[in-house]
Amino acid sequence: MKSENRTHPVIHLFFILASLVCIIPFWLILMISFSSQNSLTKNGYSFWPAEFDFAAYRYLIHDAEPILRAFGVSILVTAIGTVVSLFLTSALAFSLSRKEFPLRRFMNFYVLLTMLFGGGLLPWYLVYTKVLHFQNSLLALIVPGLLGGFNVFVMRTYFTTSIPPSLMDSAQIDGASEYRTYFSIILPLSLPVLATIGLFSIVGYWNDWFTSLVFINNDKLYNLQYFLYNTLMNAQYLQSIADKAHIDAASSPLQPLEELRMAMAIIAVAPIALVFPFLQKYFVKGLTIGAVKG
Amino acid sequence: MDRLKKKRSAIVMSLLLVISIALAGCGSNKEEQSASSSSPSASASAQSSDSGKKPLDPYEVVMVYPDGKQNDLSSVQSAMNDYLKKTYPEMNMTVKLNPIDWSAYGDKINLMMSSGEKFDLLWTANWMNYESQVVKGALLPLDDLIKQYGPDITAAEGNLLDGARRGGKLYGVHVHQELGNPQGIVVSKALVDKYNLDLSALKSGEFKDLEPILKTIKEKEPGVTPAVGPAFPLDAYFNSGSMESIIGMVGLDQRNPDPNNPYKVVDGYETPRYLELAQLTHDWFVKGYINKDATTPGIDIYKKFQAKTAFASIGSDLEIVKDMAIGNASPMANKSTQLGVDLLQIPMNIDRLHTSKLSATLQAISQTSKDPARAMMLLNLFYKDKNLLTLMNYGVEGKHYVLKDGQIALPDGKSQDNVGFFHDNQWQLGNQMLNYTRVGEDPNKYQNYEQFNEMVKSQPSPLFGFVFDPEPVKNELIAVGKVQSTYDPGFKSGQLDPAVDLPKMISKLKAAGMDKIVAEAQKQVDAWRAANGK
Repeated sequence: MKSENRTHPVIHLFFILASLVCIIPFWLILMISFSSQNSLTKNGYSFWPAEFDFAAYRYLIHDAEPILRAFGVSILVTAIGTVVSLFLTSALAFSLSRKEFPLRRFMNFYVLLTMLFGGGLLPWYLVYTKVLHFQNSLLALIVPGLLGGFNVFVMRTYFTTSIPPSLMDSAQIDGASEYRTYFSIILPLSLPVLATIGLFSIVGYWNDWFTSLVFINNDKLYNLQYFLYNTLMNAQYLQSIADKAHIDAASSPLQPLEELRMAMAIIAVAPIALVFPFLQKYFVKGLTIGAVKG
Repeated sequence: MDRLKKKRSAIVMSLLLVISIALAGCGSNKEEQSASSSSPSASASAQSSDSGKKPLDPYEVVMVYPDGKQNDLSSVQSAMNDYLKKTYPEMNMTVKLNPIDWSAYGDKINLMMSSGEKFDLLWTANWMNYESQVVKGALLPLDDLIKQYGPDITAAEGNLLDGARRGGKLYGVHVHQELGNPQGIVVSKALVDKYNLDLSALKSGEFKDLEPILKTIKEKEPGVTPAVGPAFPLDAYFNSGSMESIIGMVGLDQRNPDPNNPYKVVDGYETPRYLELAQLTHDWFVKGYINKDATTPGIDIYKKFQAKTAFASIGSDLEIVKDMAIGNASPMANKSTQLGVDLLQIPMNIDRLHTSKLSATLQAISQTSKDPARAMMLLNLFYKDKNLLTLMNYGVEGKHYVLKDGQIALPDGKSQDNVGFFHDNQWQLGNQMLNYTRVGEDPNKYQNYEQFNEMVKSQPSPLFGFVFDPEPVKNELIAVGKVQSTYDPGFKSGQLDPAVDLPKMISKLKAAGMDKIVAEAQKQVDAWRAANGK
């Protein structure tokens, strides 16, 4: 009878390979970040560096201020953005899930419309800079990511399918208001979907560099991803400029150290990789339940 | 009934939504229109007030250019403003420095232009959307402004300014700088000395004469790559030494011996010279002279020199030194200092004067400028006032630099990283030749540049003055570019055998529309010749 419980070795093998495909590049990045510059130029990338050297990390700690600040911005934006976004998304989704809501069809259509048609970069930019004057403020980083049509629909489906309507009816018979129902009944019962959408939101905010590029000129407000993107792109540009503008090659500085770039990548990935395991157990549940038709 | 009502209300609501969207669209359009129509009138009034000899209203000239972060930007800016106030009180202007990170420059400038943001001077280039900015009407035509307010610009640049003309009008002012680019071979001096290598064979100007030297290195120095990629003769040398490029590899074959047809446009890949060089490169690759990873993106050849694993790099850009001539070896001073490894450079090709070079770094005035006249006055100062230029490029004396024997040095105990202002983008603005040199550079750097420029100017490209309009063959260019990007690295590094793969590539290029590009280029060249009597 034992064999019934055993998973087929082919399946094991498949997942071992799949994991390796994910882990190996990460391992390589980690090892490059530990390599000495000398061994990098001599031997190139390797999975086990000939010489270990923590110069990149020492350098980052030495010149830590801008990175720490970018870290702070990212954490702040992610934390505030995720909490507010969860509240707005769930509130809207709750309204849309209620059959009693008179504007339900229109609002559904409206949310759907935002998924299908975007205004484009320029109107987007104009609204945030000319109408709202969010340029160079943290609001510019937070507000654009607050509501996503997709997230609203995932939550709405969850509310309509996995929370029995009779539960709400009985709550209302007991005298609960809509707000009370929302806060005391719906939210506590929706942890899986909240965790799922929350994770989307966290990853979204954490990885976002484009809004920084568009709205932020003040380098004190750069978030971590943009700070890293900027460092890399500036180096790349300086290299390509020498070709394009035919500038005296001597005046363009050398590229930043390879291992430093990799160390930065590790630093950027670490926090999000740490968050994931804690939310993972909700992750599967939240999405699948949301997808099953009631 | 109830249902019907609901449906109706939904229709009404969605109609309202559509109308409101449409209205919002109109509203923003109107605003844009009024903004763009108001700016010329504002500039006109500024000009008329100037001609009336009334004192000018104070004006802040916003300068936009790409640069990394400078901690002391504001102190440099106020030093510039103090200087302007003291030296040019009649102009009554201040500057606002608005550097944008390199990574964001293209996008941000685009957004600023489209949203009608006010700024005055901006840096641009033909490889940084200059053409599309002109087409969009984002830049002001400058001919009249230069005539009125730019005497020193004309004095420095003269008719070289014409290289940035589009449709007969000038939209950008060329930065006064070196006019071309020498390419050639860079070798490690230590190894040349060690084996007492004779570099004079290269006086012939032929890369194949380097082969015996590469062979020696290959045999005697096992850890060293004789010729490191990715720079190779196919790239730099072929393009400018053997061909006058019109767009990429389409151009005039300068080695075509037929004197009756010097303006025949050809596909460079089909010329005998390309095959010859590709064959040579492949041969070297087979013999193991070229590093196997030459096609990997991001390889820094100079790091290999620094790690002492490289002997030569072929096709690299060289420093401009005194008395450059094909095959003459000379020390590569700046790079050697920078790397801490002695390098020699041997020019194999010296650029002719190309039109495209004259729009490779420009200053332009934005359509959104409220006072283009004042912007031009400021720009003119950068072509005559060494002090202002020094403030902009090197910062405040004593704080960001000190002068040592007429050269710029960092203050004691300061490095590039912590000095607060190390901008070092002299090529972005004004008359470069007015600048100080840095300690470690040849003090005669700019004299050398002038000498070099004379040499380049004396040898203008047969197509000098011609600007190709890629619009009619845009799609073909993209398709051709795709084919090129699959084959080019293989040929440049020698990994592909041209005897086998070059015919394949050529037929794919033809399928992608290469012939149409050649025909279009020929058509435009002929029209240009007819118009200019060439």
